[in-house]
Amino acid sequence: MPSDRPAVITFSNVALGYGSKTVLSGLSFSINDGDLLALVGPNGAGKTTILRALLGTLPPKSGEVTRERNLRFGYVPQRTTLDLAWPLDSVSVVAMGAYDRIGVLKRAGAQARESALLALDQVGLGDLSDHRFSALSGGQKQRVLIARALIGKPSVLVLDEPTDGMDLVSSTSILGLVRALHATEGLTVIVVSHQLNEVANYVQRLALVTEGKFQIGLTEDVLTEENLSDLYGIPVEVDEVAGKRLIFPGRRTEEDPPRISQR
Amino acid sequence: MIDVIWLFREALFGTLLIALGCSVLGVYVVLRRIVFVGAALAQISSAGIALAIFLSSIGVGLGTLTGELGLSFLATVGGVVFFTVTGTRRRVPPDSALGLAYVVAGAVGVLLIAKAAGADVHDLFIQGNILGITTRDMLTLLAVAAAVLVVHVMLYKEFLFVSYDPEMAETLGYSTRRWTFMLYMTIGIMIAVAMRSAGVLLVFNFLVTPAVTGLLLGRNMRGVFLWAVASGMVAALSGFALSVPFDLPTGPAIIAVSGALAGAAWILHVVRGDG
Repeated sequence: MPSDRPAVITFSNVALGYGSKTVLSGLSFSINDGDLLALVGPNGAGKTTILRALLGTLPPKSGEVTRERNLRFGYVPQRTTLDLAWPLDSVSVVAMGAYDRIGVLKRAGAQARESALLALDQVGLGDLSDHRFSALSGGQKQRVLIARALIGKPSVLVLDEPTDGMDLVSSTSILGLVRALHATEGLTVIVVSHQLNEVANYVQRLALVTEGKFQIGLTEDVLTEENLSDLYGIPVEVDEVAGKRLIFPGRRTEEDPPRISQR
Repeated sequence: MIDVIWLFREALFGTLLIALGCSVLGVYVVLRRIVFVGAALAQISSAGIALAIFLSSIGVGLGTLTGELGLSFLATVGGVVFFTVTGTRRRVPPDSALGLAYVVAGAVGVLLIAKAAGADVHDLFIQGNILGITTRDMLTLLAVAAAVLVVHVMLYKEFLFVSYDPEMAETLGYSTRRWTFMLYMTIGIMIAVAMRSAGVLLVFNFLVTPAVTGLLLGRNMRGVFLWAVASGMVAALSGFALSVPFDLPTGPAIIAVSGALAGAAWILHVVRGDG
């Protein structure tokens, strides 16, 4: 369904890959201003490849990726990619998000620190500004990295596996924060994840990528049993419990007991 | 004892300058986990010096300082380019490229020295010749160390960012390849000028041990840099002071003190409950 909001990133018949190897081809889709989108697929399906093309750090092998002029990304990498040996406190990590605005040869002074403290407040970590980043919990680290993305005043917030390895409480809290930022800041948000069940109930649009296949659309259009079964190549069941969609591999027959007991 | 040490004041000042420059750069070397880039660059640099000695022995005179320094510098720059390029090509794993460069440069250096002069020169090539530092050497070290430190003070946030999170830096428009090349160049230049006097072992020590001490004691980046520089300078001064009156080889004496300081730092780190 076409959106009435302008496209901020458009892929036009794009092929992506590394060296002589093509990972994905024929990608044509748009990300619109104000989208809350999840890019979901199993590990190794090509999510990171699409993400890199989207961010502009991987040029397409063919086709074209166009971005709105002055588009600014706030990128939140997987927290496990950061080396914990670096003796950096939270506020120093957050301040990095403003380095490009400060400019080369200039020091990150009191103003950058002040902005970093505000960003930490915004994600609820104002009281942990002087704590060493490596000593924080997984959820707190993720919040620091979101604050770092926010300090640069982005138009598009991109989060790579933000809840990977987190417990239920932390992951719910992080996704809640992301949704709140989308609502209050008017940000376009792209969440990359391999956990469909976790993100399906938080986003308006879903992009699914599996071995060479790619599909994007409104969450309710994409999350149908027929569609998911076709995409993943196995029977898939979609149930709705207390207003939340749950996706199960394998289809239940009439004789099978219900997956979730109803009281 | 002070009189004896004062006789070698150029050597002492030169050693302190090498300790200062390498200790600062070593923080990046250790934190970026490129310790073997430091080792390989030191070896490549020494191969450049060996080439200059060899050329000199067959009558191709380039001048003692300009020849050794020039070829050491050129070899190191070549190494920096090689590592920057191979670091982005996954077909050759980075550690394999480093290992390759290390052994080939080491072997080439030994072969050139073997054909150029006797074993005593070979020893100097490995251990350096700290006590042989002249006023001219010292001034060269001063100029290079000062320039490298100024670059690092001015570009601190850029080097920090691309080293800590290159992926995020790329999304904000930083060319991590270009910045990494610049960082490696400053390391390479410092190594090239230090190698001629300090030798492979001592230069490698200053690139690793003070930074490790700094990481064990410093609670933030500033603390790490300060502890690294302080421990490097103390090791240089103490090792020098011990070696001259007791007739010990200066380089190994400095390395022994560096190691002892790192050991003490580790104990303090554990006692403090940081471990």
